[in-house]
Amino acid sequence: MTSSPIRFVPGGRKALRDWRDDTKPLLKVDDLHVEFRTREGVAKAINGVSFDLAEGETLAILGESGSGKSVTAQAIMGIIDTPPGYVTGGRVEYYGTDLLAMPEKERQSVRGAQIAMIFQDSLSALNPVLPVGWQIAEMMRIHWGMNKSDAMTRAVSLMERVRIPGAAQRVNAFPHQFSGGMRQRIMIAMAIALDPAVLIADEPTTALDVTVQAQIMRLLEELQDERQMGLILITHDLGVVADVADRIAVMYAGRIVETGGIYDAYAAPSHAYTRGLLDSIPRHDQKGETLYAIGGLPPSLTRIPAGCAFNPRCRYATDDCRVGAPPPLVEVRPSQWSACLHAEEVIADAQR
Amino acid sequence: MGKYIVRRLLQMIPVLLGTTFIIYMMVFVLPGSPLDGKCGERPCPDAFVKKFEEEFNLDKPVLLRYLLYLGNLFRGNLGTNFYGNSVLDELRQRFPTTLELALIAVFFIIVVGIGLGVIAGIRKGRFADHLITVTTLILISMPVFVIGGLAQMVFGLKLGWFPVTATDGTFNQLLLPGMVLASLYIAYVARLTRTSLIENLRADYVRTAKAKGLTRGRQVGLHALRNSMIPVVTYIGLSFGGLMGGAIVTERIFNINGIGFFLYRSITQRDGVSVVGTIALIVIVYLFVNLLVDLLYGVLDPRISLD
Repeated sequence: MTSSPIRFVPGGRKALRDWRDDTKPLLKVDDLHVEFRTREGVAKAINGVSFDLAEGETLAILGESGSGKSVTAQAIMGIIDTPPGYVTGGRVEYYGTDLLAMPEKERQSVRGAQIAMIFQDSLSALNPVLPVGWQIAEMMRIHWGMNKSDAMTRAVSLMERVRIPGAAQRVNAFPHQFSGGMRQRIMIAMAIALDPAVLIADEPTTALDVTVQAQIMRLLEELQDERQMGLILITHDLGVVADVADRIAVMYAGRIVETGGIYDAYAAPSHAYTRGLLDSIPRHDQKGETLYAIGGLPPSLTRIPAGCAFNPRCRYATDDCRVGAPPPLVEVRPSQWSACLHAEEVIADAQR
Repeated sequence: MGKYIVRRLLQMIPVLLGTTFIIYMMVFVLPGSPLDGKCGERPCPDAFVKKFEEEFNLDKPVLLRYLLYLGNLFRGNLGTNFYGNSVLDELRQRFPTTLELALIAVFFIIVVGIGLGVIAGIRKGRFADHLITVTTLILISMPVFVIGGLAQMVFGLKLGWFPVTATDGTFNQLLLPGMVLASLYIAYVARLTRTSLIENLRADYVRTAKAKGLTRGRQVGLHALRNSMIPVVTYIGLSFGGLMGGAIVTERIFNINGIGFFLYRSITQRDGVSVVGTIALIVIVYLFVNLLVDLLYGVLDPRISLD
């Protein structure tokens, strides 16, 4: 791995803040609750999500649209629009400090600088009327108080780092003058500009074609390796994460229903929903057969079913699944956790 | 860019020909004669009529007269009106006053209109938003002569804050008329800014700006507002053209000796040459402002290509 000169610019991750306790985990999300108060009622988007993330680790958060994966990311970033969104409970600890309890001003200094985020649609996520170099340089100018020309120089080197050809010539170009892949690289350059400790990528490759997807994933992996960032990869595409992620967390109706090492989860899913997701990946050896799809739709977040939220769509569901509180995450095998009452059955099916 | 400007300048020629033709025909083909009422209660003596008609080519066919007029126009000669004064001189005397009035109005439109729009936009659904939305609706519904008369009475007479008329056209005198002239456009600009800002505040790039750790002020004031201003600047630019022509009513209320008042007087006195000349001037100003707006548009929105 080439060592980048970018890393040691003063004020980067090396500039430790006094509230940071390095003995604590990089990121720890504990019993997070988020709801959206709309005219149609209260949508409970996140209902007690907990996970943690270590330096250099990649956590993939998987789930369908509306499962709460993006909202989790936005809650960590603190960019949920209030109203209608409210974080109603839980903690988001960054090196031991609860970001949710932090004054807004201090939180702004964490946002982008310590914890950065990449969005899905880079065309709309970049400001259309400002040059890309300017948008990258804004990070250094605001957070580090860098002067304009130094910030632009660094913007160019960041653009080179994410392998944008002719970066020096294109630094003053506008977002619409780049291809989708190049634009996503600019988003990445902007996100890593201040050498953050945590990078959240919200469906970073969804809007791109397959070959470009692979390039972007490789770039993210490489940057993470080089900087030992904690990476949260949000996606609904299980294929994309397979090579990159260390652990996965599968979300359904605002909860994590299965989490563990990626190999365990892929080899023998322990939740009926994970099983369904894996079965819906098109496979070469099933060419010509009907592609499996999980029946039904995700529940409305204003009316989440009692018991296991997945029960109306689940082929393993029994009466136990339809009543009471949602089943908790239980360690069904070493370091594999499942919130399925029929975990044993699901695993056994997978191993058959 | 240069090519574009040249093309636009050339396009102005047919527009100018068309407008002057239509106005010329409307003024001279319509029934009635400039001699009506010129000699008091009685009709004018035949000798005078003959001399007058010869002097102003009124005995020739109207199309030929138009062509003669056009020839003079392209030599920069706007002709002599029925009172024997050079129309160009008349306009030259009055144009600065109208321009000043329009500039004052544009200043108020920019400051008050955009200001109110931004306040309403960022306080969407709250009291300030409702207050601004209702106030602007009232302004839009009221004709300018009502607003003008009211302003004159309240701020001029009752409170005595401003001079009641602006006969000399000094800056102080033009402030109140400028506000009256601006009022309708302030309302439109405030509403347009509000809508545009609300729309842009929902945009993904504002979320990105937030995720970059920028302050709310910078998210709104720089990232969202920069994009929201694209339609607003266009509208203000176009309204500037309207302000020049729309000053007719305001100039009359406040007795301002500008081209609006001149145009009004020329119409009532059937002074066709003056009418056509004034309108030609307004059209030219409008066209140039339009060109300027289009150029500015390209600067504001890099996605717009002018070639």
